Amino acid sequence: MKKRWLSMAAVLTAAGILLAGCGTSGGTSTTAAQGQGGEAQESGTGETQAAEGTKTYTMFMRGTFIDWIGELKWYDEAEKRTGVHVEYVKGPNDQEDAYAEVDQRLISGTLPDAAMCRQAQANVYGSQGAFRDLAPLIEEYAPNIQAYLDENPDYAALVTNDDGTIYGLLNETPKLADFVFYRADHFRKAGVDPSQIKTVDDFTQAMKTLKEYYGKDNPNYYPLCGRDTFFRYAAWFDCANNISAEESNGIYYNAAKDGMDIYADNFYHMMEVLKGWYDDGLVNPEWVAGSYSEGDWEAAMLNGDCSIGYDFMTRPQWFLDNGGPDIDPDYEIAVLDNIEDENGNIKKYQVDFPYNEQRATVINAATDDETAQTIIQFIDYFWGEEGQTLCSWGVEGESYQVVDGKKEFIVDYSTEESKPAGEKKWSFLNDRYTVCKPVDDEAFYAWNGDVVKDAAARLFDEDHLMDAYNIKYTEDQLEELSTLTATLNEQVKSNLTGFVTGRTELNEANWQAFLDDMDSKGYSRVEEIQLEAFRSTYDE
Amino acid sequence: MPRMLKKASAEAVPRKPLKQRIIKDIRKNYLLYLLLIPGIITLVLFKLGPLGGMVIAFEDFSAFQGVFGSKWVGLENFKRILQDPYMITLVKNTVILAVLSIVVVFPIPVLFSLFLNEVRQARIKNSVQTLSFLPYFISSAVMVSILYTLVSPSYGLINNIIKFFGGTPIYFMAEPEWFRPLYIILQIWQTFGYSSIIYLAGITSIDQTLYEAAEVDGANRWQKMFKITLPQISSSIVVMLIISIGNIFSVDLDRILLMYNPSVYETADVIQSYVYRIGFESTGFPDYSYGTAVNILKSIIAFVLVIIANKLAAKYSETRLF
Repeated sequence: MKKRWLSMAAVLTAAGILLAGCGTSGGTSTTAAQGQGGEAQESGTGETQAAEGTKTYTMFMRGTFIDWIGELKWYDEAEKRTGVHVEYVKGPNDQEDAYAEVDQRLISGTLPDAAMCRQAQANVYGSQGAFRDLAPLIEEYAPNIQAYLDENPDYAALVTNDDGTIYGLLNETPKLADFVFYRADHFRKAGVDPSQIKTVDDFTQAMKTLKEYYGKDNPNYYPLCGRDTFFRYAAWFDCANNISAEESNGIYYNAAKDGMDIYADNFYHMMEVLKGWYDDGLVNPEWVAGSYSEGDWEAAMLNGDCSIGYDFMTRPQWFLDNGGPDIDPDYEIAVLDNIEDENGNIKKYQVDFPYNEQRATVINAATDDETAQTIIQFIDYFWGEEGQTLCSWGVEGESYQVVDGKKEFIVDYSTEESKPAGEKKWSFLNDRYTVCKPVDDEAFYAWNGDVVKDAAARLFDEDHLMDAYNIKYTEDQLEELSTLTATLNEQVKSNLTGFVTGRTELNEANWQAFLDDMDSKGYSRVEEIQLEAFRSTYDE
Repeated sequence: MPRMLKKASAEAVPRKPLKQRIIKDIRKNYLLYLLLIPGIITLVLFKLGPLGGMVIAFEDFSAFQGVFGSKWVGLENFKRILQDPYMITLVKNTVILAVLSIVVVFPIPVLFSLFLNEVRQARIKNSVQTLSFLPYFISSAVMVSILYTLVSPSYGLINNIIKFFGGTPIYFMAEPEWFRPLYIILQIWQTFGYSSIIYLAGITSIDQTLYEAAEVDGANRWQKMFKITLPQISSSIVVMLIISIGNIFSVDLDRILLMYNPSVYETADVIQSYVYRIGFESTGFPDYSYGTAVNILKSIIAFVLVIIANKLAAKYSETRLF
């Protein structure tokens, strides 16, 4: 009998162990977040205990951003000065995964006091009661944010709903565009004078000269290569997407910097030029095809299999800091001026949206009043003068000094940025997300290597860059746009690639068939929705 | 006449009511039933329970409002699917890939196990089996990376061989017509060793006297393989085939996402990659309801196909899954 009872006990214990992990409990508060969800708690500063008297709150964010915050000296200083310590709850590193986890945490009731999510999530879930309305909190406790809202009606329109509620605060992005950069030593050796490259034809001729010089001994040499999409030259041909109160051209939804207007008059001509580059071996065919990885591109730029890139503004410096001069002592990178048209008019390049709608900061509705006040006051600190100086320049005497009334860094960019991951450093790469705040463009440009710093000073002004507009969409518009662009974005890329690689012959008939096909799949409808939303956002 | 005897016996001794028989059986085998409880609970919690979540296909689902609080939209999402002009391309790509998986991938482990069974050296047999089994544990990411390296037009082994024989390099990863063969090759590489285990297990349980009798009758190896071994494992093959048909719309999404690029979208974009873009990669508000509706339609079609396959199997091979 005893044996039977023992057997029964063993079976029941096994069942209990198996089911032990099944339970969850609701409740969304600081303590709930600390104990549930299966995620490890991580402090942004690497400290697990806040100092006595320090106010704390929890915040869910992408893991990568938490790692960055953990390295920043100015962030530690900000926590010290404000007396607020944020216990960061680490999410996945991938953006999409992180935002999917926000949904899962909402379902399971384990969202911490604050979170970073998409603006669309903030507005939809906020209106359903998941997030606090920030408007009264800002009015009462955040004078700096309130001042910013008052001075920037576009920003206020973007974050404020029709009923006056604000569920998500967006951070500013620096005004920046991609650079066309080149191996200056390659140009010199091949006899190409970069100052003479004014038009697209000059650019093409320069690539032909390079190909002739370097390609004769190296079958893997292509003057132009890159990562991600090859189709990023729309601005050179006046084919960039654009929007105003009068018209919407091209897919603008989530595509300010690389968007195109395939119906633009000059687009067919652009395709002929790009196909010419491909056919003449001037551009890496694997990149055009889309099968070229970031690693492949970096290796090609470092090893000399390629001379020209068109990528994010910090990339030219990256090659100098990541082995270029070690591989070739002559290794030198420079940034090309904007292309001009035949009449000498500078072509303006596309820029990112001024506010990043993929990085909204929200406060959980279940958070108590005191914690909500702490959160908004901590964020507000970075919108004021002291906080802005701290996150843009650091501490006077330690990271910057003032000379003739002008701030300048006294710490070296390369030394600081080359410190191993996890080590504390001064870093002011404010295109990265740390805290929801405005960005000091001047400081951001100044905190870069000489190549980037000089190019930004030369090229990042209204003569060289277009304007970009954030647009607020309704829930229905978002749903329709998501479905339409899930098809159109891939279809456009696929067809354009086919025309360049020759899979589809580039002729007027095929081009028209492509345009008609895109229209039948909702291209015009996307433009229509965008225009409607633009007018609504800017009251025009 | 066994059936008649059974009937007579049943008439002679009246059977107890079902309830009593169940109680008696539970009392007799209660330890076995106790052991069954965790499995049943797990099945209900993690397999059957979540099926209820499919109701979000009929809602405008919000993660915050939950299944019971979200707005009911009826068949709206299904209407959107049927009105989506791109759906035909997606279904075509998915079905072609799935049919190729069944036609090309399915027979390989059967043939492999038949031939491996003929290897007389136990050490070699075991080594080959182990080696064939190993790729199953390699992740899709690593598999696709290996593939990229092998077929790279500038430094890949395959293209170097092509160039060595005077050919022109092929951009395997950028040619839409190469996507499906490469996908299938990876699937064979990854799964044939694992799948063959089921057939090898079936082969080991074949009565050895059948082979001895065949040898006495003068059968050679090929005859024994195809006249004894293959028929003896036919029921396993049919069951596995029906399961494969049930998975006809299921492709390896990881592998596809890693392999696809703008050049191959026309053959590589499948239902799952589209649903992924809408549900998880969306830069706007994630549309879980639409994604679920697509998957429900997919499951219904697959279920119908399984029923048909099961009926056909029962009719022609006297074997069926259920």
